[in-house]
Amino acid sequence: MHIPDGFLSPQTYLPAYAAAGLAWAWAARGLRRTLDEETVPRLAAMTALAYGLGLVMVPIPGGTSGHALGVAMLALLFGVRLAFLAYSLVLALQSLLFGAGGITALAVNALAMGLCGSLAAVAAFRGLRRLDETAAVAVAAWASVVLPGLLVALALGLQPAIAQREDGTPLFFPFGPAVTLPAVLIPHLFIGAGEALLTVLVWRFARARKWCAA
Amino acid sequence: MVRGMTATRWLLAYLAAVVAVTFIHEAWLLAALLAAALAAGGAGRWRIARRAVLAGLTFNLAVSLGYAAMSLWQGRFSAQYLLLVNLRVLLLLYLGFWFVARVNLLEAVRFSPTLGFVVTLAAGQVQAFSRLLRDFRLAFASRNAAAPGLHDRARHAAAQAAHLLDKSVCMAAETALAMRSRGAFDDYAGLPSPACGRGVGGEGGPVWRPRRPGVVTAYKKP
Repeated sequence: MHIPDGFLSPQTYLPAYAAAGLAWAWAARGLRRTLDEETVPRLAAMTALAYGLGLVMVPIPGGTSGHALGVAMLALLFGVRLAFLAYSLVLALQSLLFGAGGITALAVNALAMGLCGSLAAVAAFRGLRRLDETAAVAVAAWASVVLPGLLVALALGLQPAIAQREDGTPLFFPFGPAVTLPAVLIPHLFIGAGEALLTVLVWRFARARKWCAA
Repeated sequence: MVRGMTATRWLLAYLAAVVAVTFIHEAWLLAALLAAALAAGGAGRWRIARRAVLAGLTFNLAVSLGYAAMSLWQGRFSAQYLLLVNLRVLLLLYLGFWFVARVNLLEAVRFSPTLGFVVTLAAGQVQAFSRLLRDFRLAFASRNAAAPGLHDRARHAAAQAAHLLDKSVCMAAETALAMRSRGAFDDYAGLPSPACGRGVGGEGGPVWRPRRPGVVTAYKKP
């Protein structure tokens, strides 16, 4: 789902960095107040965990696999702020060390996957937990994949309209929303189902160990 | 290394270069900049270039082929666009890998002690997790003579994720203890001088103070 470098126009990623800066400050504010011997190692551990979860292959019906995002799991277990900061750090490390994602796309990726994915997960979980906790976790995980997918598809799909030459040739990503929405969303509906299954199994494990929950 | 350029300055220069590249819409200029970056890349330039090509290959190929098919069908094909976007992506990836190869990332984020701490700890733990997951995969493959089904793969993925969660919580506690033993935390910040103690006042000397109940532990920036 990561948007790579070179496909987002400055008209997109510079305002996204401004928005992400505010979001990072908001997320770090709560942490700074309690920055102690627990939070610093925990943030580092959650960052490594988010990275590790990204390496876990989620089975998709048909014999193929996608990779887990793990954002829902992080958000439900450790809160939106820590999940957002940890995921942002993962995206930065991935883009610099492995060329996955990119520095110009970091803010959009972090806002879509780290922030909106976490918020969607926690909102879905809180809204549905009274009905059925397992279903709430599953929907939360599914939403944490599909909503970022939608946002990423929109960010990419808007590029031809935002940045093009006078003759209409695109300057950055070439396809509009009519192409990006189905191309990104349809696979992520299935990846979201895999992520939901995985998150429910881990959630039960975490609850058995009495870890904190959203 | 250029004289006077610290790791943080290299980081700022890299970020400025990345932004500047996205404002360039002429393929020949991007090609010239890529050639200049290759020329300045030193002995490892082809290794970095190969890495950059491989990192962007899948996405770029998909976008380029998709664009070619669609624009040819619509009669709006532009070879210049394909050249522009592929050169831009390649240059950005090359700059990123070149920066990481030449500059210590951990030193570059030293302007923020907390960020430096977190990145150092996270990078170390990322390596530990990568190794762990590779072991998991190899063990899973070696224990399945036939291709595992969806249910087995889901249970395996859940076991991996649960183990990662477990390990990360243990690692956080372990790291906290290791940092404490190395003096990274100051339990007594903000407290008044003790009325009694052993070695109080001596720079770096052992200090003994009774822990006050209810005192919030403070994180001492290095």
